[in-house]
Amino acid sequence: MPLLTFDSADLGYGTQVVLPALTLSLEAGERVALLGQSGAGKSTLLAEIRRRLGNTAAWCPQGHGLVPLLSVYHNIYMGQLERHAALSNLFNLLKPRRQAWQTIEALADELGLEGLLRRPVAQLSGGQRQRVAIARAFYQQREVFLGDEPLASVDPHQALRLLEHIQTRHASSVIALHQHRLALAHFDRVIGLRDGRIVLDAPARELTLAQLDALYPDARKSSRGTEVDATT
Amino acid sequence: MSAPPGLLQGNSPGLTLARRSLALILLCLLLLPFADLRIVAVDPWGEVWRMAQGFVRPDFVALESPLRAIALTVSVALWGTLIGAVLGFPLALIFHRSRLVRAFCAFMRAIHELFWALLFLQVFGLSAVTALAALAIPYAGIFAKVYAEILELTPKAPTEALPAGTDRLSRFLYAELPLVWERLASYTRYRFECAMRASVLLGFVGLPTLGFYLESAFREGRFGEAGALLWLFYALVATLPWWGHRRLLLPLLIGALFFLGPWPDVDGHLLWRFVSHDLWPAPLLDGNLAGLGSWLSSLPDLLPAIGNTLLLALMGTVGSLVLALLLWPLASFHFGHPWQRFGGRLLLVVLRSTPELMLAFIFLLMLGPSMLPAWLALALHNGALIAFLVARHADGLTIGMADLPASGRYAYELLPRLYPNLLALLCYRAEVIMRETALLGMLGVATLGFYIDSSFQYLMFDQAFFLLLVTAGLNIAIDTISRRFRPRDVPLDDPCSR
Repeated sequence: MPLLTFDSADLGYGTQVVLPALTLSLEAGERVALLGQSGAGKSTLLAEIRRRLGNTAAWCPQGHGLVPLLSVYHNIYMGQLERHAALSNLFNLLKPRRQAWQTIEALADELGLEGLLRRPVAQLSGGQRQRVAIARAFYQQREVFLGDEPLASVDPHQALRLLEHIQTRHASSVIALHQHRLALAHFDRVIGLRDGRIVLDAPARELTLAQLDALYPDARKSSRGTEVDATT
Repeated sequence: MSAPPGLLQGNSPGLTLARRSLALILLCLLLLPFADLRIVAVDPWGEVWRMAQGFVRPDFVALESPLRAIALTVSVALWGTLIGAVLGFPLALIFHRSRLVRAFCAFMRAIHELFWALLFLQVFGLSAVTALAALAIPYAGIFAKVYAEILELTPKAPTEALPAGTDRLSRFLYAELPLVWERLASYTRYRFECAMRASVLLGFVGLPTLGFYLESAFREGRFGEAGALLWLFYALVATLPWWGHRRLLLPLLIGALFFLGPWPDVDGHLLWRFVSHDLWPAPLLDGNLAGLGSWLSSLPDLLPAIGNTLLLALMGTVGSLVLALLLWPLASFHFGHPWQRFGGRLLLVVLRSTPELMLAFIFLLMLGPSMLPAWLALALHNGALIAFLVARHADGLTIGMADLPASGRYAYELLPRLYPNLLALLCYRAEVIMRETALLGMLGVATLGFYIDSSFQYLMFDQAFFLLLVTAGLNIAIDTISRRFRPRDVPLDDPCSR
């Protein structure tokens, strides 16, 4: 069953087309890795997928989109803002709702944020913020997970753990990332973008690291492509 | 071989700004002969000597109830700022959407606190309502504009991360307000410092704040007392970070309620009569257009007053520019020894904490009534304020060639980097200087403010109100011009830029 299809669609912002004549179909239950250099069009594609899926997709944006002054609890709570009345959201700022607190506490424990619910996000490390952003996406409780580099600021070991959490909770996912080994080992399908075009679209098991590295010609010129894994 | 470019030729941004600044200074010099700059006083140096003595040997014992005056000054400033913020915040939310709101806010801002006080004095007398309204109304206009500018710069990422369908209020409370809260708070804090000065000034129209005692002490030549009051005021401003701490805010606000007063008995009928009748020219209310002509001709000759106002504003702005250029190295760590720097910084802080009207008043007693005291006061206060901010900006810069001589560091390393910002600050101040120019009329300089003050004294409210409108219009025009003149793309990250 297709989740959504693009039939030679021009995607972009305003009048600027980033991805011309895109043809692509995503299936429900598919775990898709989105690869490509910065500026290749990954974010544009994800934004459009998010727009089309509306509220069936949980969203974890690039750069987290967190509010530094608010606590971890409130930042995660923001995942369900649209499900409550404005006044109830207002009151929750002053006194956390019991039920929401317990759900969010469980989520935070699962993602290694134990005991941090009251702390302002401004005081967290990069990796912890990353987890808060993922926890917020979990709290949205959707079928599909859309992530724009949700594993960018954690080490490879943690990235693997977080990815497993994401995939246990969501049958379908589309995730932009730079970790090539993860893409091969933990996804069903890999889509590679370059300069606004899909240059690679195949089941992960049929691909090799060298094929993925070819998506990053600039990196290969200066160093061994596989090093991208560790550094990004 | 090509010839080097001539004097001030070229189109680098620095040269453009230099040409503009020099043109402004030249204009000021050309118009200077039209300004009344006589020294009228018989013995200015004797007067300076006596005042300096009073300042060096303050007479704290002679003060009557200084604590009450201080408490009232702080209370009015606190509640005036709070009410202004509460009124200004909702206006800020619709500021960019409605031209009407923008015009309304510009009008509230364009009239100085003291003129608002004079207006409310007629209805509410020497009461807390007059004092609070005089601060809260112009501040509401200022807060609306500045808050709106701050809110406009809210980072968009958290909003975009929200699930679709989030209601407007929740979006604002979770993903917008917390991101700008610090900046809103720090601007409000800065406004409170301004409110302290304004609250002192309210003494000049008779409200019993510190300024009331200051004015009478100076006027009656009791310089020991005046010196003591000035020291108290500086101490109050200097210790603000301690007693004005965030945690003390609530107790301060509650405590302040006990010192605010007296509360007037408002006669609704009189109030309505004032607003609907007294403020408007009688021929206009009667629908008598011919009579309106004779009403207009009964006004004092406005052109010289407007000319004087504009001239003084220009002189004040140019004076501030020149003084800021001279003074900022005094407080910057790129120049001089630590002890010189300490002295320089102290001088700048004292000059910028003293209300302009106070400075003008002191110079007036020294030099006699002309434009000179007003000019000195405007240039010193605003020049010091800009110099202080520029020095702070300079301290944030590292220079490439540290072993250049001081003049080289000033002219090649630092000034080119600081000047756009300095000029932007000056353009913001130009609006403030304009407001204050009118105000200095209350000390007898023949600007618009002089006629407003005397119209109020002769109870000609229609005339006073008309002149206030003229002043407001003039201020709004100057604001628009200075905004054009201002260097673009200069990050004015400092909340104290106004």
